[in-house]
Amino acid sequence: MAGNDAVGAAQLLVSLQLSDSAFPSGFYAMSHGLEGFLQQGLVSPETVGGLLEDMLVRTVGPSDATALARAHGAAIRRDWDAVIDLDRQLFASKLSAELRAASVRSGRQLADIAGEAYAGTAGGDDLATWAGLVKARRTPGCQAIVTGVAYAATGVPVEQAVVSDLFAFAVSYAGAALRLRLTDHRSTQVLLRRIQPTIEAVAADAVARPALDIGGFAPVGDIMSASHERAHARLFTS
Amino acid sequence: MSDNVLRVGIGGPVGTGKTSLTEALVPIFIAAGRTPGVITNDIYTQEDARHVRRELAGVLDPERVVGVETGACPHTAVRDDPTMNLAAGEEMLERFPAVDTLIYESGGDNLTLTFSPSLADVFVFVLDTSNGEKMPRKGGPGITDSDILVINKVDIAKYVRTDLGVMERDANAVRKGKPVILTNSLDGTGVHELFDSIMANWNASRAESVA
Repeated sequence: MAGNDAVGAAQLLVSLQLSDSAFPSGFYAMSHGLEGFLQQGLVSPETVGGLLEDMLVRTVGPSDATALARAHGAAIRRDWDAVIDLDRQLFASKLSAELRAASVRSGRQLADIAGEAYAGTAGGDDLATWAGLVKARRTPGCQAIVTGVAYAATGVPVEQAVVSDLFAFAVSYAGAALRLRLTDHRSTQVLLRRIQPTIEAVAADAVARPALDIGGFAPVGDIMSASHERAHARLFTS
Repeated sequence: MSDNVLRVGIGGPVGTGKTSLTEALVPIFIAAGRTPGVITNDIYTQEDARHVRRELAGVLDPERVVGVETGACPHTAVRDDPTMNLAAGEEMLERFPAVDTLIYESGGDNLTLTFSPSLADVFVFVLDTSNGEKMPRKGGPGITDSDILVINKVDIAKYVRTDLGVMERDANAVRKGKPVILTNSLDGTGVHELFDSIMANWNASRAESVA
């Protein structure tokens, strides 16, 4: 089993790198809709954790996480046409312009950076192939899809890939909550610990969900995001 | 990004005149035959982007001015994770392929601000005389290591008890030969010199990368 442990460590390191809040994915500038809820007075320190749970269950899980899981499988088969279809489907399922823009701005840079960082290492060729398609604008380049390709190329199992990306989302949301004064440095960590069972359940659902079901349903979230786009003042890009 | 696109990063504390310097530089770039686009990093509103569009109406297509939100931290958006700025720059070049000069104006920040080398070819740090005569002595990477240090608002030095000679002397002392330029962006004092220095810096760095 020593050999398996060694492989696990290599994959864990990829997960830690790509989901690290210091990874330059642009997540730092996003609040994922949280700032819009705050501007409308619909979230407070007491409900900020519940809103994260709702977002994971209703939108991120059915949309980004599911698309990531399906793209992961297609990328392992090197079926790039299928990955492009998934990318377009995910892009079309994001109703507000700012969420589409945030996703592809992040995804395109991620493809570029990961393409360079992993060049010459395991998975580097597949990542370069996908980065080339994104750069040529053959495909929108959504963040979740690029991430799915990166994890598939580097041999990270699909469950771990989905959990890692959901956790990266949760950390980004929590960071935004901190800067918006909805949490402090201690309650942020409480929030991130309490959300972990939700991440497990959402990831399990995403891994099992078929591609045709990609897309969340959270009308209030879409309305908050739409009003945020036109807000006079905002700290975050989403 | 094309090697032929000059990317200038302008950073510095709040209120030192980064926006007005940007507005003063754009017509000079245009007169020199270049085609600029401007990307502002507002802390909280689109105020800077709107100001640049208004001031440069008739000079610069308003579509070639975009604002980027920074997630509450201007230096992160231009240093640690410049993803959103890089994406905004790429989108500008896709929409306007003629653009060959991108001016990135950072949100007003503190003395620790620096620009990522992947975002800006030339990093200009802007102080003004009202920051206080002592400011260059306080140092910080923007003051000591930026490609060009600007001391703006030279016209008001006498009203804010700043001896401009001392400020310039101290700036030169900590910068070890790197340029220090005194400007009044509102009447144009020093702005041509700043343009020349930006171009000289860029040409020197390109010559270096070829060699």
